[in-house]
Amino acid sequence: MATVKDKLIREVNPGEPVVAGAKVTIVGVGQVGMACAISILQSNIADNVTLIDVMEDKLMGEVMDLQHGSLFLKSTITAAKDYSETADSKLCIITAGVRQKEGESRLNLVQRNVEVFKHIIPNLAKYSPDAILLVVSNPVDILTYVSWKLSGFPSHRVMGSGTNLDTARFRFLIGEKLKINSSSVHGYIIGEHGDSSVPVWSETNVAGVSLQSLNPYLDTENDPEEWKQIHKQVVDSAYEVIKLKGYTSWAIGLSVSTLAQSILKNLRIVHPVSYLIKDLHGIKEEVFLSLPCVLGSSGVCGIIKQSLKESETARLKKSSETLWAIQKDLKL
Amino acid sequence: MATVQEKLITPITGGASEGPRNKVTVVGVGQVGMACAISILLRELPDELALVDVVEDRLKGEMMDLQHGSLFLKTPKIIADADYAVTAGSRIVIVTAGVRQQEGESRLNLVQRNVNIFKHIIPQIVKHSPNCILVVVSNPVDIMTYVTWKLSGLPKHRVIGSGCNLDSARFRYLMAEKLSVHPTSFHGWILGEHGDSSVPVWSGANVAGVNLQTLNPDIGTDQDKEGWKETHKMVVDSAYEVIKLKGYTNWAIGMSVADLTESLTKNLSRIHPVSTMVKGMYGINEDVYLSLPCVLNNSGVSSVINMTLNAEEVAKLKKSADTLWGIQKDLKDL
Repeated sequence: MATVKDKLIREVNPGEPVVAGAKVTIVGVGQVGMACAISILQSNIADNVTLIDVMEDKLMGEVMDLQHGSLFLKSTITAAKDYSETADSKLCIITAGVRQKEGESRLNLVQRNVEVFKHIIPNLAKYSPDAILLVVSNPVDILTYVSWKLSGFPSHRVMGSGTNLDTARFRFLIGEKLKINSSSVHGYIIGEHGDSSVPVWSETNVAGVSLQSLNPYLDTENDPEEWKQIHKQVVDSAYEVIKLKGYTSWAIGLSVSTLAQSILKNLRIVHPVSYLIKDLHGIKEEVFLSLPCVLGSSGVCGIIKQSLKESETARLKKSSETLWAIQKDLKL
Repeated sequence: MATVQEKLITPITGGASEGPRNKVTVVGVGQVGMACAISILLRELPDELALVDVVEDRLKGEMMDLQHGSLFLKTPKIIADADYAVTAGSRIVIVTAGVRQQEGESRLNLVQRNVNIFKHIIPQIVKHSPNCILVVVSNPVDIMTYVTWKLSGLPKHRVIGSGCNLDSARFRYLMAEKLSVHPTSFHGWILGEHGDSSVPVWSGANVAGVNLQTLNPDIGTDQDKEGWKETHKMVVDSAYEVIKLKGYTNWAIGMSVADLTESLTKNLSRIHPVSTMVKGMYGINEDVYLSLPCVLNNSGVSSVINMTLNAEEVAKLKKSADTLWGIQKDLKDL
């Protein structure tokens, strides 16, 4: 007897399970991974979002919860039982990793995460050999280097979320001080994501008007307006939020979503992301640090050559030495 | 010495701009509240978002985390406080606060505990936003929407329960999957009490106007060889399934609440299955809230669609109404 479906629909060309055009894989369904997922889904930038994690129940639960909202979305959502289901992704976002234990050295944390990435990265690369890798897990600059090495991908297809979020916080805080929307405040935080990031005050402007030209003491301790505090607030932001709610999720999720949008839609928007900085600004080591990069469908299309002050370049060099000191001892 | 701001900017209006026009407040910053918040922000609905909760650290942390994403959003003001003054001037207030059922706890006891919490929340909301529309999400939602209506003193059209909005969304997703179409192309309604005794209106289920019950008169019954009734059971079990796997549900309810909020703030007059005061309909004589297809616009529930329900479906609604009233009549201090 004919089913309801048979009676309702005359099949024309049912369509094989064709790979969705713009497929994004997110590795890790913790708070950060899910914030990335919900931001990407509700921004309508991917045709399919595939999630993968070692915790199977949590993965199934999260995917089911998202699928129940399909009425409100324009993307499909898949739970990958193994990496073969991540195949043909245009973009792979890695949020997986272990957190720092109390008293643990950074090198030890990194080595533990390297073991986790040794399982993830080669699998992503195997099934999506043309994908772009976007690393979010911390310490992001080192793990982006690790991902680059483990994937065997050309460097332009491997980047880290880096100081994209730091810069967003920077622009938000300056915007609050000037009572202007953060999107109209232009400024970059570059270099190492974290305590030693570099705010490029010299090129921070509103409508092209350099703030430092209005206040030459902007980036010094002698500034009565204490603009320098803003960078300190940015550095402290993550710790603050973690202290208050246990983790951060929404801001990083939103920032990753805008990176994904630029990549998937080939927008060539400039974002500060962690990229291979060797041979720029006098850096000799194979390290990843954040610089303003042009992002498109091939990944990092170009890097903006900022005129940095000697003090700023010196800080980048110092970061690269610190990172290399850790990286050289990693067993990859 | 002039500040950077003074040197940079020549003021014109010389003062604060007027108050927000589309302020949304979310009460409760648990998983559900925050999923509602992020979904509403991503849809660019409010020009101001306020968060309220009793747990002050978490509240501040959530506010900061959202503010740090301001560059990527179009909501210029995100604020939070345990003091309800922060909610003043809201057009829509979404209530997700409340306690969860403890093991072995009776429904009446759970409800009474939540009533005591709402007695603190609702009057303060109304005091600071007397013209708002209240959207209740906390469970048991139909009873809590009744409680909210009583405590608020607001006209019934401005107190809405999220009700079967999510059940219907899940139904449309599951049915559409079976028919290989997008959920928006499968039309079907789940009405009545949110939860185990919700009513799937099989007589209205259709794709492109083609009524599925006409194609299969047994649809939704135990006699149906295709077993379509199973889909409704899957909807009822959905929440339990997801809770078993990840501990709670939040994304789907968050997105569905954002969808309601969009109809309310943008005055869309779209129809949603939400919990509304049904006294006087379908032979129901008590003050109970059940989900029916409601036209939502900036006044709240502007009208209700008169669904053609069969005798069995009407009987189920009446039975739910009796159960709900059985609990509501014993609530103290409303």
